[in-house]
Amino acid sequence: MKANRIFILIAGLSLILLAGCSKAPEVEMNKAQESMQAAVTAEAEQYAPAAYKVAMDTLNAAKAEEKEQASKFALFRSYGNAKKLYESAQYLAENATTEAAAEKERVMAETQAMITSVKAVLDSAATAIAKAPVGKGNKADIELIKADLNAANGAYEEAVAEFAAGKYLSAQAKLEAVNQKAESLIAEIAKAKTMKK
Amino acid sequence: MKGQLPKRIFAPKALILIGLIVILISGCQEAPSIKFDRVKIALAKAASADALTYAKATYTTADSLLAEAQLEIAHQNGRFFILRDYNLAESLLTDAHVLSFQALNEARHNKTSLKNHIGDELASLKSELRDWREALAGSLIIFEAEKIWSSANLALTACDKLIDLGEYNEALREAENARVKLHALGSLVEEYSNMQAEKVKTWRNWVVQTVENSRLNGSTAIVVVKASHKLYLVRAGKIIMTFNCELGYNSAQQKYFSGDGATPEGTYKITHINNGSKFYRALMLNYPNDMDRRRFSANKSKGIISRYAKIGALIEIHGHGGQNKDWTNGCVALTDNDMDRLINNVSVGTPVTIVRVSDQWP
Repeated sequence: MKANRIFILIAGLSLILLAGCSKAPEVEMNKAQESMQAAVTAEAEQYAPAAYKVAMDTLNAAKAEEKEQASKFALFRSYGNAKKLYESAQYLAENATTEAAAEKERVMAETQAMITSVKAVLDSAATAIAKAPVGKGNKADIELIKADLNAANGAYEEAVAEFAAGKYLSAQAKLEAVNQKAESLIAEIAKAKTMKK
Repeated sequence: MKGQLPKRIFAPKALILIGLIVILISGCQEAPSIKFDRVKIALAKAASADALTYAKATYTTADSLLAEAQLEIAHQNGRFFILRDYNLAESLLTDAHVLSFQALNEARHNKTSLKNHIGDELASLKSELRDWREALAGSLIIFEAEKIWSSANLALTACDKLIDLGEYNEALREAENARVKLHALGSLVEEYSNMQAEKVKTWRNWVVQTVENSRLNGSTAIVVVKASHKLYLVRAGKIIMTFNCELGYNSAQQKYFSGDGATPEGTYKITHINNGSKFYRALMLNYPNDMDRRRFSANKSKGIISRYAKIGALIEIHGHGGQNKDWTNGCVALTDNDMDRLINNVSVGTPVTIVRVSDQWP
């Protein structure tokens, strides 16, 4: 009888221990989801799409693994694999966030460099106009060039506004157009100089 | 006993039990893993066709259904094998598969449609831009209009570059920007035309008076019509010579002050003939006249022009024309040959009427 009671006690304790081992990986899941949200905020889907997809797929796999274990009889559950997958998802999401930030920084730097260089070309055009000797023969041309330069400056300001709004591709296309225009104006000014009377 | 077989080999209960087990195992469903992979591939194909941009709603729904199916499969996998039922998962995957193909087709269709629409829009805007170029070049230069035209041109250049990058939504936005600018250009020119319409009557009266006086007196007069760049020599009320002329570079308007580049509009007289001008030969006019002085004072009082502005003078009809553009600071320029022909027919005191537009004459 005593041996039976001891046996039942040991069996009961074992059952409790086993049940404790099959705890759902809530902490890991929360961390993974927070990291994923951070990746979304960092626009990883736009700036690091491949890394973002891998992270998302891993998170989905983790959720599926957790769900599978949850459907099993309590004694047969094992969340070890799900826990590992959540940890991987967290790491991959953090990776995607870092990649996105780096790519965004690169695109911003590229656009900023274009803004600086185009400003320099516009300033050169303005200086060239200011220094162009004006005579009866070229005044009309100079005034037309000024009108065009005003338009180019306006488009430059629009490009800067688009950069500030994070529309980098649009800003770059506009800056290229302005740069082209400003360079052609400098050439026109040089031509107009020769026509001064 | 002799001749009897062992009972256990042919026990009916054992046979029944084996039979039941076989039926149960054969009735269990397999997880739709292959179907899951196919749907994943279909969705990836839609994504590579830019479905996230051009068929976002359909793609997102397909993606959600796939995720739901994944969880459902996992749930069934966790159950005791004879209790597993993958029907719901199969159904979700079927729907996801259909939507993936739909997203792919939608994306291709929408992208092509947008590309074609942008192409048409761009062609139309470029044509409108060319029309404006011709319209503005053939008339008096309005610098503000030139600035707007140039802005629209820049927007279309940016639109072209965005199309090359395959950024059709951004290109459409830029095309819209250009369209707004061309509309503003139209409004500006309309406003200018309306302003002119108010003054047409005044100009008409000046021309009528000049021609009528010439007719009554049998005398010579000059009429300059700025918009058509023509100088008419009138005698006894009839045109005897017509010359092409060039004007101030800013002649779309009345002259406001010295250095504004505008040829003045008004009724004047020749005050001096200069045969040794640096512009070959020149006919000096009596600008500013009384009307010019009154206008100048009024504009200064109203703050339309700076209080430091000067009214200017030395407005002439002179040579060195033939440059095919408005280039003077306000004078009227003819070719040297035409100056010779004109000067032979005029004298000090010959009336000179300059108007921007003449709607009923010649």
